[in-house]
This record gives sequence, C-alpha cells and structure tokens, in this order.
Amino acid sequence: MSVEQVFDFSVKASLDNLQEIRSYIDRVGARLGVSESALGDLRLAVDEAVTNVILHGYGKLDGIVELHMHGDGDAVVIRIRDRAKTFDPSQVRAPQLDTALNDRPLGGMGIFLIRKMMDEAEFLPLPGGGNEIRLVKRGAIRAGI
Amino acid sequence: MATLNIMVGHAQGKVPVTILRAEGDIDAATHKVLQDKASEVIKAGSKHILLDLGGVNYMGSAGFRAIHAISNMLSDEKSSGLTKSAYLKLLKPTDAVARVIKTLGFDVYLDIYQDRDEAVNSF
Repeated sequence: MSVEQVFDFSVKASLDNLQEIRSYIDRVGARLGVSESALGDLRLAVDEAVTNVILHGYGKLDGIVELHMHGDGDAVVIRIRDRAKTFDPSQVRAPQLDTALNDRPLGGMGIFLIRKMMDEAEFLPLPGGGNEIRLVKRGAIRAGI
Repeated sequence: MATLNIMVGHAQGKVPVTILRAEGDIDAATHKVLQDKASEVIKAGSKHILLDLGGVNYMGSAGFRAIHAISNMLSDEKSSGLTKSAYLKLLKPTDAVARVIKTLGFDVYLDIYQDRDEAVNSF
C-alpha cells in the first residue's frame, strides 16, 4: 500500500516570495518524482496563479497564500488558497495571439498560460470568502518513484 | 526574492546593436529591471536590441510583458503589422523559456537565434 505524500506551504502574499514558492514546487516535485518537463509547467502555472492572487486578488491588502501539493497516481494536484476577493476567470480576456505584438494590449497572458500548462485548472470561490485554484498535471510523475 | 541582473554590451554588425544579457529569474517581482534597463538604453540612442536570455532560469508572463513593452518602445510605423521586428531579437532562450515563447506566439514576431554573431549581423 502506498502512503500518499501531502505537502503544505503557507506564505505571505508578496511578489518578493514568488521565488520561494517556485522553490517549494521544485522541492516537492523532486520528492514526488515529477519529470523536469512537468515541473517546469507546474512552476509556471503556480507562479502565474499566485501572481494573480497578489496583484488582482489582494491588491494592496496584506494576505496569505496557502499551497497544498500531492501526487495522485501519475498526476500532481496543487491547490492554492487565498482569502482575497472572489476571482472570476471568465472576466479575463484571452490574449490576442494572432495579432502583431505592436497591436496587442500588454499583459493578460497569465490565465492563458495556466490553462495551457495544466490538464485541469479550476477557480473556485471558498465558503466564507476567498478562492481555491485547483491545478492538475497528469503524467507528471515518473514511474518507479 | 528572485534576482535579475542585466548587463549591457555593444556589437557592430551592419548597424550598431545593443546586447542586453539577462541573468536570473524574470517574474512579476523583477521584470521591471529588464524593462527599465531597456528604456534607459533606448533613451540613450539604442535602436537595435539583442536580448540574450541564455542566463535566464525562469521567465513567466511578466517577462513576456516586458519583452512586449520593449518591442513597442523600439517599433515605429514601419514595423507594425504581421512582420517580424527589425529592432528586437532574442538570443539563446533555454528550452523551457523557448516553449513559452512559442505558446504565446512571440516566435511569430520575434526572431530567435542561438549564435550571437549571426544574431548581430541579422539586424
């Protein structure tokens, strides 16, 4: 019988902590046996998600971001929780990738990248306030670990 | 906090080229370092920039926002439309960064080189 390994991490919602959050993904990814390619995708998706929480969720308010990461078969599941205002990803316009750079608005690429890098990306309001972002990357864990 | 250092170099091809070599991580905390340095060299007269990404371990969407802003700073009416930029090119992105460049469609509008001399002479 395998024992599920779960890893939790809580950090102040600050752009200064993004590198620490990426390091957490790397550390847990190594423990779970995540492939380098999947680890790069997870690092990017989590960085984008937390950046959104900090810039657009909390704004100038102080807050905490909680991360929970575990393996599920060959998949990695990451939950990111905040206590910021409710976020509705349907309100975010997709980047205009078929438009020349000079004619595109700046930014707006974070949510697009999260959805591209992950097999599942759900944005859920939490009862009592805040949000949970649930990310799933399948085929991420190498066999035999 | 992530660190990002930008080193400025110059090379002469068919035109003078400013080389910005980025070293470190480009995320939402550090992207302004790149954007501000590019703005500084453009204000000082640089018209052609080769952005060397060989030392960049990680780049998220904030880095692409900075590259987009630099492209806009360098562009003029002649470069608008669906053509590749004649003023900004990229050098040696890592595989992970190159993959995101493609995902975001930046490779359609920015030339990417592996060889520095070839890149300099392409302007």
